[in-house]
Amino acid sequence: MSTTHMSVPTSPSSIRYDHALEAEITRLSTAITQVSELRSMYRPRWLAIQLLEGDEQLLAEVQSLPAAEAVLRTLDASSAHLRELFGEDVDVLLTDQRYSFVNSLARDVLTHPAERRRTLSEKIDRVVTNRVLSIPIFLALMWIVFKVTTDVVSPFVDWIDGVITGPFTNWVVALVGVVGLSGTWFESLLVDGVIAGVGGVLVFVPVLMSLYLALAILEDSGYMARAAFVMDRLMHTLGLHGKSFLPMIVGFGCTVPAIYATRTLDNEKDRILTGLLVPFMSCSARLPVYILLAAIFFPEHAGLVIFGLYLLGIVTAVLLGFLLKHTLFKSQTHVPFIMELPPYRVPTLKAIWKQMWERTASFVQKAWTVIMVASVVLWFLMAIPLRGSGTFANTELDNSAFAMVSRSIAPVFAPLGFGNWEATGSLVTGFVAKEVIISTTAQIYAMDAAAVETEAATFAGELAAIATSFVDATVETLKAIPLIIGINLFPEEAEAEPSSLMIAMRDNFAASSGGHGALAALAFMVFVLLYTPCMVATAAARHEFGNKWMWVSIVGQLVLAWVAALVVFQGGLLLGLG
Amino acid sequence: MLQQVLREFEHAREPLNLRDLAHKLGVERSALEGMIDYWIRKGRLKDDSAQTVCSSCGSGSACGSEPQGCPFVGKMPRTISLVTPDEAPVSR
Repeated sequence: MSTTHMSVPTSPSSIRYDHALEAEITRLSTAITQVSELRSMYRPRWLAIQLLEGDEQLLAEVQSLPAAEAVLRTLDASSAHLRELFGEDVDVLLTDQRYSFVNSLARDVLTHPAERRRTLSEKIDRVVTNRVLSIPIFLALMWIVFKVTTDVVSPFVDWIDGVITGPFTNWVVALVGVVGLSGTWFESLLVDGVIAGVGGVLVFVPVLMSLYLALAILEDSGYMARAAFVMDRLMHTLGLHGKSFLPMIVGFGCTVPAIYATRTLDNEKDRILTGLLVPFMSCSARLPVYILLAAIFFPEHAGLVIFGLYLLGIVTAVLLGFLLKHTLFKSQTHVPFIMELPPYRVPTLKAIWKQMWERTASFVQKAWTVIMVASVVLWFLMAIPLRGSGTFANTELDNSAFAMVSRSIAPVFAPLGFGNWEATGSLVTGFVAKEVIISTTAQIYAMDAAAVETEAATFAGELAAIATSFVDATVETLKAIPLIIGINLFPEEAEAEPSSLMIAMRDNFAASSGGHGALAALAFMVFVLLYTPCMVATAAARHEFGNKWMWVSIVGQLVLAWVAALVVFQGGLLLGLG
Repeated sequence: MLQQVLREFEHAREPLNLRDLAHKLGVERSALEGMIDYWIRKGRLKDDSAQTVCSSCGSGSACGSEPQGCPFVGKMPRTISLVTPDEAPVSR
């Protein structure tokens, strides 16, 4: 392509184009001047430029004039000549030269300070998007987010748990008694099925709220765009499509929209590859599972374990992507792009609240729909005896249909340290949604637990207890905030007694792993991180990539999850850990 | 100027930041945005943020079924990329 040149005229009102362009403009202007209808209505030079630029309205006007035949012939000849000369459309040449003219003019007339003053956003970006510092900053922020979700809000988790398993369950039992169904299977369905299942998930609402709060602050402040930019740069360096990380960031919230977000990638191979990697970004539904297990097995380092799991998801996605991009998804596409980084701003309370509320509402809605249905179905499966002398809703859990089916699959997980039917059953139901792992676990241990006699309390007394415990939880949360940065302003308090669910799970994992419960629990969390996110994500993958890739995704994730959990458990045993 | 913008896209080895590109080309950011918009109109660049990200979330249904959109889809930064001749159509 030839390079054009244009000189800045002394008068800003007349732009002088490149010599060749000027010659054609003059030629066409002369032809226009010969047509009186055109000459009387337009300035010939202006009309010539408009016609060369392809103004359709003016061209139609000229075409309607029989006398303008020569103008059209000249226009065709000039356009063809210029295209041949410059290898580019004439309108591009003209616009290009106008931009050059304006730029030169601005440079001549504007005086800039010798050293350009950087905006606050630019100053922050020099650090935040710095090649060396950007990744550690990203990791540090992730660390803070998980410290908040694990340590800071845990008093509220305990508070909701106390309300649901205490006063709320008592009220439901009392109501069932009023209608004369006390001690029947219906009471068990409500208490051990719906309340244990849905309640077991709702307990984690404060955790999810804190996660959504942190994500909203990061998004609204403008940092998330920087995180995407920084990670895109890393992905690009590894040979992956830079834009892959945008859907992955969405995946931290939910895998389903993340799969749809792969539409921003144009190349089909890149899209499918990103669609296969997105499920490894740990979605918010998995967080309650990590919180529960980390609190039981790693109470001192829960934040670190959860941070490690999120990091493992990112590393798995990047490494697998690198491997696949250089083998099955080999393509030469190099699609550079630019990203607009919005200026930093102080997040508004309204925007943060809106995001946090909408996301939490979506989680709660899921609890009342998908998880409630799953809990009811599961209760029936747990109530039906397949062996022994039990009857419907009055059978040993070990003899139930759910236990029998889960037990038949359990050997698959034995090398991973969690080959018991309880863990296997929760992983199977976890295909529906990851929260169902929690509801299943809560139901299994609720059905299994012996009824505990509680002190009779009045309704007013229970309401007062709820209010008092809420105040206690708020105080505990405020006290925990300085712990994020490792400052403990308050004297150490005695550890809370573990709940019956925690004790039962600890014993169960210890039994299935030959006394290496913590290692087995870690392997279980790694499996939860890497296997199929949920039924809806699977449907989204089918919708976007077709049946073949949906199955590749399901099977691939299962195999990878199994191998990774095996490495964690068996590797840990070999190293003498756990 | 316009050609230079396209050349920067073609020769970029990694994602660029709009502000940095404006500095590199020695033009005002608003002028660069104008040039980018011109190339978008010409079909040589494309604004990816204009593409629809499906609003379905948790239902598995098709795009647009939930008018309010999925709450998990945050504000995506605007990205602009080169339209390559070998862009394969997306098959469903």
